[in-house]
Amino acid sequence: MNVPHFFLTIEESGLSMWVRDNPFWAILSMHALGMAVLVGASMLVALRVLGIPQGLPFAPLKRLYGFIWAGFWIQFVSGMLLLIGYPTKSLTNWDFYIKLILIIAGMVAMVMLKKRVFTDPGLSEADMRLRGKSLAVLSLLFWAGVVTTGRMLAYTYTHVSYPG
Amino acid sequence: MNLPHIHLLLNHWPIIGTFIGLGLYVIALATRNRDLRQASYVLFAALTLLAIPVYLSGNSAAEVMKKQQGWSASLATSHEGAAMLATLALGLTGIFAICGLWPSAKGVKTEPHSQSWVSLAVLLSALATAGLMAVAGNTGGHISHPEIIKEGEPPSDIAQIGEKVVLGVRYFVIDYSRWIWPFVEDLHFIGLIMLVSVVGIISVRTLGFFKQLPLAPLQRLIPIGLLGFGINVVTGFMFFIGMPFFYYGNWYFQVKIAAIFVAAALLVMFYCTSMFVKWGNAGPGQDAPMIAKLVAVLSLVLWIAIVIIGRYIPLGESV
Repeated sequence: MNVPHFFLTIEESGLSMWVRDNPFWAILSMHALGMAVLVGASMLVALRVLGIPQGLPFAPLKRLYGFIWAGFWIQFVSGMLLLIGYPTKSLTNWDFYIKLILIIAGMVAMVMLKKRVFTDPGLSEADMRLRGKSLAVLSLLFWAGVVTTGRMLAYTYTHVSYPG
Repeated sequence: MNLPHIHLLLNHWPIIGTFIGLGLYVIALATRNRDLRQASYVLFAALTLLAIPVYLSGNSAAEVMKKQQGWSASLATSHEGAAMLATLALGLTGIFAICGLWPSAKGVKTEPHSQSWVSLAVLLSALATAGLMAVAGNTGGHISHPEIIKEGEPPSDIAQIGEKVVLGVRYFVIDYSRWIWPFVEDLHFIGLIMLVSVVGIISVRTLGFFKQLPLAPLQRLIPIGLLGFGINVVTGFMFFIGMPFFYYGNWYFQVKIAAIFVAAALLVMFYCTSMFVKWGNAGPGQDAPMIAKLVAVLSLVLWIAIVIIGRYIPLGESV
């Protein structure tokens, strides 16, 4: 496969070179922390919808969506910077596109879950679980997929212009 | 102070501690003394956490000892094998001990009936740990004091089994398939998410955010955080056993392990014991005690730092 010239143009830009230089590990660290915030907060919402832990009022958990969105934007910005640093490595890897699809699926599942479960404050525990169960399970699967495909990016790439 | 010094400083604790813990525990069972039993559970849990830096500093100690006269590589691998089994057994004892502590964190004064299996499991596991710790100590002593080895004394069978475990894990992680390492890394990230999100929400609530959430039911998430921690200790050890040379001289790795020891100790001591009972009284809209806030800040800072330092480990490769 020929690597599109466009990827190389990005790689020769000042921003791309800057990312590959010193801040690379700092950006990667932010990406790991953002993952913990985004996936962790989503996991806590999904688990509560599935009844874990029992006895925890679920309405206040709506505020976890603030963390979910904060985590999402940390991931978006740090992810874009990493992509600018290594466009060839990511954009020629099928695993990267699966990861993007799973991120969209995960976010859509979380937004739908919010609509179903958190908009009606009078919702009973049993109704809440019934309405949210399948979405909660799905979102957990999507996020596990995002983390897995993300981790595999380091092992599945076929083209790289600037190895490690 | 260097890593061999740290190894020497810490390595006697899990051995002697296990014997002291076992003694206290037997007395506690015989006299049906609940407080003493809880104290021995806490001791076993603390020793388990301490065994992590002890095991991980072993290779560095060996590096220094290699330059000494009378160095024997076979004595060192023998000790490594025995230490592996002793650490595994202590880990199991620690898990059972935390199960034993768990009801007290919820303020349960009389133990539920289901706790009797925990008592038995801790006893049997601690007995096995004590035996394996003795072998680990003995084989370790042989390295720097070969004069105590009896003439014609065969190498320990137990240590040899341990050596096979170490080699088996190394083969599995490195050579069995190129996908094992990435998969173990994936699990390490999933464990990270479980641990950091649980510690995160409890800490954030303790500090006054999400104040409508009562603290006691939030604390019931702790087993998920502990499961994440357990996954990461196991997967972390798999990395280390796979490529010890990559880690033991790595400055980022060393700082990470030290930070994990403190952060995990806070997690076990304050959220899994009767220490939590008072904090758990903070209902919806109520403030948590000052000391709880202090532990929350420390935990948050430490776990965030651990994630960041962990991400920097590959950079420390050449250190």
